[in-house]
Amino acid sequence: MNNQLEAAVVVAVLFGAGVYLMLSRRFLRILFGFLMISNAANLVIIGISGDPTGRSSGTVGPGGTANSVDPLPQALVLTAIVIGFAVAAYLSVLFYRLHADRKGTSLNTLNAEGPPGTAAAREKEAGL
Amino acid sequence: MNNLPGLFVLLPLLAGLLAMLSPRPTLLRRVFIGAVLAALTVLSGWAVIQVVTEGPIVLRLGGWLAPYGIMLVMDTLAAILVTLSFFTALGCVLFGYADTAVEDEHPLRLPLVMCLMTGINLSFLTGDLFNLFVAFEVMLLSSYAILTLEVGARDSRHALPYLMINLVASALFIGACGFTYSLLGTLNFAEMIVRTDLLAGDFRLTLLAALLAVIFSIKAGAFPLYYWLPGAYPIMPAPMTALFGGLLTKVGVYVLLRVFGTVFPAMPGMQTVFLWVGTITIFTGVLGAVSQYSVQRILSFHIVSQIGYMLLALGLPGPEAVAAVILFLAHNILVKSSLFLVGGTIARVNGTDTLSGTGNLWRTMPIFGIIFLVQALSLAGLPPFSGFWGKVAIATAGFNQGEWVAVGLAIGGSILTLMSMLKIWLGAFWKTDDAVPVKCDALANWTVAITALFVVAALWVGIGAESFSRFSRHAAAEVLDRPGYVATVKAANTIIYEGKQP
Repeated sequence: MNNQLEAAVVVAVLFGAGVYLMLSRRFLRILFGFLMISNAANLVIIGISGDPTGRSSGTVGPGGTANSVDPLPQALVLTAIVIGFAVAAYLSVLFYRLHADRKGTSLNTLNAEGPPGTAAAREKEAGL
Repeated sequence: MNNLPGLFVLLPLLAGLLAMLSPRPTLLRRVFIGAVLAALTVLSGWAVIQVVTEGPIVLRLGGWLAPYGIMLVMDTLAAILVTLSFFTALGCVLFGYADTAVEDEHPLRLPLVMCLMTGINLSFLTGDLFNLFVAFEVMLLSSYAILTLEVGARDSRHALPYLMINLVASALFIGACGFTYSLLGTLNFAEMIVRTDLLAGDFRLTLLAALLAVIFSIKAGAFPLYYWLPGAYPIMPAPMTALFGGLLTKVGVYVLLRVFGTVFPAMPGMQTVFLWVGTITIFTGVLGAVSQYSVQRILSFHIVSQIGYMLLALGLPGPEAVAAVILFLAHNILVKSSLFLVGGTIARVNGTDTLSGTGNLWRTMPIFGIIFLVQALSLAGLPPFSGFWGKVAIATAGFNQGEWVAVGLAIGGSILTLMSMLKIWLGAFWKTDDAVPVKCDALANWTVAITALFVVAALWVGIGAESFSRFSRHAAAEVLDRPGYVATVKAANTIIYEGKQP
């Protein structure tokens, strides 16, 4: 568990950049922000395998498992990556849907009252 | 017998996949899904009796030994919640059958509901933190899909806050799993109990607990992390809103109960936080409800407010308070779902659920009015309905601990609850306005009859409160019995499964 400072720094930078991007108003930036956050979380899991320097991967080879990294986090991260991928796919489709519904690619078009004839304006007319 | 917990996860998944084989919604598919849910409700009810009489059931998946493999642990609380979740799903699906014609139903609705049930029940049954994460993701991905499945162009934007907050919570949850593994060296609940005891009082353990509390509070919809909820839920069709409102936030409360009741040792500081977060949640939720003018939106804010009562009780130490949470949880699942279904019927009959456009319901459908009144008074907590007993249990536990201020505020919140329920009563039922259309067809009678199922169940909880509170005390004792949980899981190692042992 020693000498993992660089992993911690990478996670912190990725997470911080991801949160920054997610707080912006453009759909594409939000999507990239989510991808960075989800990869930062995956790196946390990989990081807990321990320092890999000079150690073999977590498989049983000649010499047994004596000098290998902990294999369990690698099994966990596989699940996490697959789930993150599925969620990213859903998020892209949702953004596409919002683009189709609102004719815009940023949060401003979701909240602002649009020009006459748009969904937002009709909603205001209906008094909802 | 030992495989029983696995059935509640696998059967909904299998049924959902089978339903997807028929690309168009058909009557046969409806009957099949309805029959599966009814059978699972009965089976899980039987499982409750088994668990209460013979103790918790542990299933070691794949036959791996206790602290290493993934376990499903069904104790009394998990069994009760599995039963309630299947019952709620059955009611909501049947309501959907009456509400939508076969050819108008979205082809993916039923398969996704079954996937959602898989995730919910796996969250109730799992005995492993990472598996809990997977269960949450199964549940959340299905819920994202259901949320936007039938939404119109006007409302699709409300799905985004729901998605965003849950994405961040999921990323934090993966990180928290990693931290747990590096701190404790295990993700199994039973082994975590043993190792957190060794670390009790350690600063890192408190940090980990705080991180988990934030993650599960987002799922439960606690103050100040609830803003995504009241906007997102009303955009779905009524039966789906009822399913979400009845079950999803309750999964968050269950996990808080499991993690902070069973897995982590008692943390007084954390409990004080829960107490006051709960109190503020009650108030902000109910004030939001008072300010709304549409049935489904009022009820969505009430979800938040009711979660507050459960958090408040979670903040009180001792088995009495945990029993109160369990009783309140059971009451709330039934009452909340049925009120959303009432809202769906109002929208069906009047053509809208905005209170300015509703009315005449008491004149034309008195039985429907009684159903609403019973559930609304139960939600507000008037005797002899189920909500009264839940709130009495919470208030008693609070007064015994000397938390006068929090409990006093909670009772004040109940009065505001009653007020917003009266607003629905006056706007939709009592008001007579000849301009308001009332379209009361045979299908509307069916939707009312299905809602009545929930009323009967909730009344049963209310009138049989003595036996139900004994039941919840038994479940609470089991939740708080940490050495007992470890012993139960370890005892499963002695059961030899057929076939080759790993």
